[in-house]
Amino acid sequence: MSHLHIPDGVLPTWLWVAGWLVTLIAVGIAGRLAERSDVRRKVPLLAIVSALMLVAMSSEVVPLAYHVNLTVIGGVLLGGPLSVIAAFIVEVVLAMLGHGGITVLGLNTVVIASEMLLGAALFRGLVVVLGRQRLRPAAFLATVLTLATTTLVVVGLVALSGAGATERETGALDPATLSFSNPIADGVFSVGLFSGGENHSDEGTGTEEPAGEEHAGEATLSVARFAAVVFVLGPFGWVLEALITAAVLGYVSRVRPGLLWGAANERAGLRPPGDEGVSR
Amino acid sequence: MDIAAIDRSATRDDGFLRAAAPISKLVALALVLAAVLTSFNVLVLLGVFVGLVAMGLAGRLPMRLALTLAAYPALFAAVFAVASAPDPMTAAVIIMKAVCAALAAVTVVLSTPYPYIFAPIQRIVPGIVGDALLMTYRATFLLLGKFGSLLRAVRLRAGARGHAPVRTLRLSASAMGGLLLYSVDLAQRDYDVMRLRGYEGRLRTSPRRSRDRKADVLVIVAAVLALATAVLWRLGAETLNPYSWLVPIPAVMALAAVAVSRPRKDPA
Repeated sequence: MSHLHIPDGVLPTWLWVAGWLVTLIAVGIAGRLAERSDVRRKVPLLAIVSALMLVAMSSEVVPLAYHVNLTVIGGVLLGGPLSVIAAFIVEVVLAMLGHGGITVLGLNTVVIASEMLLGAALFRGLVVVLGRQRLRPAAFLATVLTLATTTLVVVGLVALSGAGATERETGALDPATLSFSNPIADGVFSVGLFSGGENHSDEGTGTEEPAGEEHAGEATLSVARFAAVVFVLGPFGWVLEALITAAVLGYVSRVRPGLLWGAANERAGLRPPGDEGVSR
Repeated sequence: MDIAAIDRSATRDDGFLRAAAPISKLVALALVLAAVLTSFNVLVLLGVFVGLVAMGLAGRLPMRLALTLAAYPALFAAVFAVASAPDPMTAAVIIMKAVCAALAAVTVVLSTPYPYIFAPIQRIVPGIVGDALLMTYRATFLLLGKFGSLLRAVRLRAGARGHAPVRTLRLSASAMGGLLLYSVDLAQRDYDVMRLRGYEGRLRTSPRRSRDRKADVLVIVAAVLALATAVLWRLGAETLNPYSWLVPIPAVMALAAVAVSRPRKDPA
């Protein structure tokens, strides 16, 4: 649940363009690396893991607007370059289905790819420290730490966007007074939606404040509020995702360990029964 | 998410939207997206939304599905809007932007088979990415079907019980683990089949031509109008904002005309 669910046109252009540039460069490099290291035979696995993440992300946990990502599982199964490609594919398909914004696709790919890479690295590191017998706690901890970090990245991106959404006019309805001005007799007739259409301007008081400064204050408050909401609601989602990740990785480790520890088994020539068709 | 219904709609033959060339629809999507990016006027965005609904109805798209899909991002946008917008009007604008952009994308997806949507992306990304993109979409169908069956099996075998959440979670996770292993086997089998059929590292899709030039023109002109309105109201905001209520009127009239003239039976 940690990627950006921010609509198109809210973040400043430089930010989402930068996201797209970083994504295209990262996907280009990952594609080259993948082709060079002969992982072409992994294309179907890449597609299947991407589809699995897609199914998870498109299944909303009502009523809290959560969805599971399965990014740590994806990262563990796919490894470095393929994780970046999977993140891009998932975001492209989600954007086309209306799930995420098209302009924020680049930033979302960066967030999801970071989640997959960081999650896999933390999982492998924690397994080394705790041992394979404690795989589930390692997976749980890795997922929680990863989601907390990427949520922080999301909040950072919103903070970077600054006053974006607050600096522009919002139409005939004045956002300061929430009142419609009569288009024919301007100022003579106004209807307040939540108030009596009071005049909030400081005209004539001698204490006029530049609009930019006023909005900058609002924007700062908005980012703080956004961070507060995300970090209050987020932990429930992190724990849910971490429980599922720990259980699924535990199951895979029991039934088909070669998927998680394939390289080690290949070196020792100890491919567990049922892993004959799987190669890393 | 009913991907099967999306695909059924995309591969049908009726309606002017399905007759238009995929490239025209993608250009129109880019223009509508530019309009959504440009406008911060809730009434202009409302006009774009109503216009998209009118286009969808006229193009015989399953509008219930389209609106459901477009409402999904609205839920997440609402969380962001409530959390960060400085006032209710800005929150409404944020949600409208999400709905308009999503409805525009969904309109393209519901009227165009997926290989033609991904074809332009295939040209600019490395081969492995393009191939995986096409295969992901197909794999999603298979997984959704299998996932549905697994969940049903868990329920029928009393795996999901409200009063035993830990047991439910454990069994559901096992089911997901089983799905994962099934997916891996499926991937391996897919690769073997593809190799047998001559796959050498590139899936190619040929571009699809338009079946009706008028449909292409109509789609592009409507998108240009949306963008022009958004730009005009943005540039002349101070003068034009009091007249923003004019913008949705032509869109509502178009919607009414389409609703009156379309056949009674819903194609969905």
